[in-house]
Amino acid sequence: MTSSVTTSPPPPPSPPPAANVPSAANVPPAAPAGSAPERASTRARELFAGAVSGTPGRMRVLAAIALVVTLAFGVLGFLALLRFHSNVEEARRNAEQLVRIQSIRTNLVKADANATNAFLVGGLEPPAVRDAYTNGIAATARTLAQASARSDDAPALERVNRVLTQYTGLIEAARANNRQGFPVGAAYLRQASRALRDDALPALATLVQAERRRVEDSTSAADSARDALILFLVLALVALVAPQMYLSRKTRRTFNKPLLAATAVVIVAGLLGLGVVTWSKGRADEARAGPYRQTVALATARIGGFDAKSAEALTLIARGSGAAFEERFQSTAADASAAIERDLVGAAPESAQAEAAATFADYVSEHQKLRSLDENGQHDQAVAAATGNGAANQAFARFERASSRALTAEAADLSDDLNQAATPLVVTAWLLLLAGLAAAVLAWRGVSERLREYR
Amino acid sequence: MRVNRRVVATVAAVLAVALAAAACDDTGSSADRPATSLVPVTTAPTAPAPDCGNAVASFAPLNPMPEPGDMPAGTYMATIQQRGRLVAAVSADTLLFGYFNPLTGQLEGFDIDLVREVSRAIFGDPNRVEYKVVTYAQRIPSLLDGSVDIVADVMTVNCERWGQISFSSQYFDAGQKILVRKDSDVTDISQLNGERMCAARGSTNIDELEKYPEIVVVPVDDISDCMVLFQQGAVDSVTGDDTVLAGFVAQDPYTKVVGGALTSEPYGLGVAKTHPEFVGFVNGVLEDIRDSGRWAAMYRTWLAPDGGPVPPPPVAVYGRTP
Repeated sequence: MTSSVTTSPPPPPSPPPAANVPSAANVPPAAPAGSAPERASTRARELFAGAVSGTPGRMRVLAAIALVVTLAFGVLGFLALLRFHSNVEEARRNAEQLVRIQSIRTNLVKADANATNAFLVGGLEPPAVRDAYTNGIAATARTLAQASARSDDAPALERVNRVLTQYTGLIEAARANNRQGFPVGAAYLRQASRALRDDALPALATLVQAERRRVEDSTSAADSARDALILFLVLALVALVAPQMYLSRKTRRTFNKPLLAATAVVIVAGLLGLGVVTWSKGRADEARAGPYRQTVALATARIGGFDAKSAEALTLIARGSGAAFEERFQSTAADASAAIERDLVGAAPESAQAEAAATFADYVSEHQKLRSLDENGQHDQAVAAATGNGAANQAFARFERASSRALTAEAADLSDDLNQAATPLVVTAWLLLLAGLAAAVLAWRGVSERLREYR
Repeated sequence: MRVNRRVVATVAAVLAVALAAAACDDTGSSADRPATSLVPVTTAPTAPAPDCGNAVASFAPLNPMPEPGDMPAGTYMATIQQRGRLVAAVSADTLLFGYFNPLTGQLEGFDIDLVREVSRAIFGDPNRVEYKVVTYAQRIPSLLDGSVDIVADVMTVNCERWGQISFSSQYFDAGQKILVRKDSDVTDISQLNGERMCAARGSTNIDELEKYPEIVVVPVDDISDCMVLFQQGAVDSVTGDDTVLAGFVAQDPYTKVVGGALTSEPYGLGVAKTHPEFVGFVNGVLEDIRDSGRWAAMYRTWLAPDGGPVPPPPVAVYGRTP
């Protein structure tokens, strides 16, 4: 240990030794001989050599290293935890944005499902259906405004906003024509639906992918915070134990109380930091494994569900030439079922998630019954099942309510969990900084007490 | 069943020219029909036309006709009777011929009434029909794959189509025209060079446009999409049969139909080639519709409810053998 200290030059932050010999350093200006700068530098070099040579010199060097390393432990630990904190916060914001974008998507396919279903019924749409449409559009506009605050997503959302304006215009044209009994209303409805499907929904799907990547990538910051803490903890301990061993060999005292205290402070703070980081990471991982997955699954199931519902209506509107729409039903319903199978089926039996899973299965089986009615020439009965109080329509309404309740709860849990993961990080970061400072002061005091004995 | 007054008035006005032409065209043959348009009318398609003689000539009607509910064994009518319903391909967006009435939630129109008459002749009940809504392009394929028994969807009889399916005798006489803005000074298709014109895929109308290479054709699946594009200013004009365009004018008072008929479009009911006896049966039904005054009543209901003139039905031409 000692040899390594003597052979290696003192660390670049030489100010501590220099600052420690202020009385000597003040001498040169008082001696006026030869070229001043040259003499000053020679004198400084001599002084420096004096300061680091011999036992007190080594003590000074060890003290300086302990001081720098413990300070670094505090400052870098502080920074690592703050970075982790901002990362968790970012994950929370990303997750919230993801929920917002999914809700825009859901509201759009929901509005579309309501509009096509109203058309299938014929006549004036029931006030409840109209209200559902109006509320869906209002919610979409509101969520779009909130989501657009994030600059990364703004260009895509602006496009979605443009399509939304176009969409509502087309729906109103469909309604106005419908009210006069003009069949061109149906053509406006088709165009409205196409605008959503060809333009807005793919843009939103891309945003969702990007957002999911961001949420899932944020684990790495937790790992690097933990690794940094472990490294600085070990370095700080080495830097504190080395002078203690040297002092106990060179002096009569076995223990140096301030250095021992500094070591204790560093160990406690380091372990506390590690504990909190591990806990927060666990919390964030839990949020990702639980509420996050459930939120994504529920949103996927709802989007697939509404899409399937409007495909069901379009199949009936197309009357026999709707094979393509029925295929769309099958594929979107399969997407929804897959999301449910993967993440919701294991849910507690009484939970809203379990209810959402069960009600969706009910709806799909009601849809099959409706299809066989239609395929056996009972179109009117099939339409009755798909609308109003019909079995399939009611089954879908139950799924809608259950999944909406589950989604609201899970999205709130997700925010809460990530919030909880973030909260203790800031306090701990400050504690680490204070601990670093305290350890540095104690280390210096411990060595300077012994140094005084050499005067 | 009630069609609104403005619809009626406009339809009557738009069809007036076509009716006058139809009234004096009693031969039912499109080949010697007087050309009323500035553009010469040619009945031959641009593609190498298969010669089928007189395109509107169909198989002789069954005589005697079987009693409803008692279709002779081994015939296609018996198959339909056994199934319990007649499956018909129709349009849902052709106002007056086959359209989904949003007020009633039912399919209505001249073509729909014809199908109901066929159902009445088979079952003694006009309501034993399963409708399949198809686009123009799906009409022939739906007969070829056997998914429908009959097509009643403003379908023009021509030799090219006789190559794939069979037709009933002619039940309506239409002609292809052009729809433009009401304030347009266009009177003829030749003035529309370089402009965008909408037409439905799989229609004889879009084939006809091959003769006008200067026109920018915008194809759509459903002819009613043409009306949406027109109202949005995405196309400058729409071409279709005068019957279909009359339905558009009825839905939008800022439009008008111009020019003489570019073509003659005799409508027939489509049946698969494999069932000539069903064609004969349908022809028997059409004979009855013409003779009993049912045709005139249907015309009055859908095309002249205001008391306008009702032309005599197109005369059936037979002589084709399966």
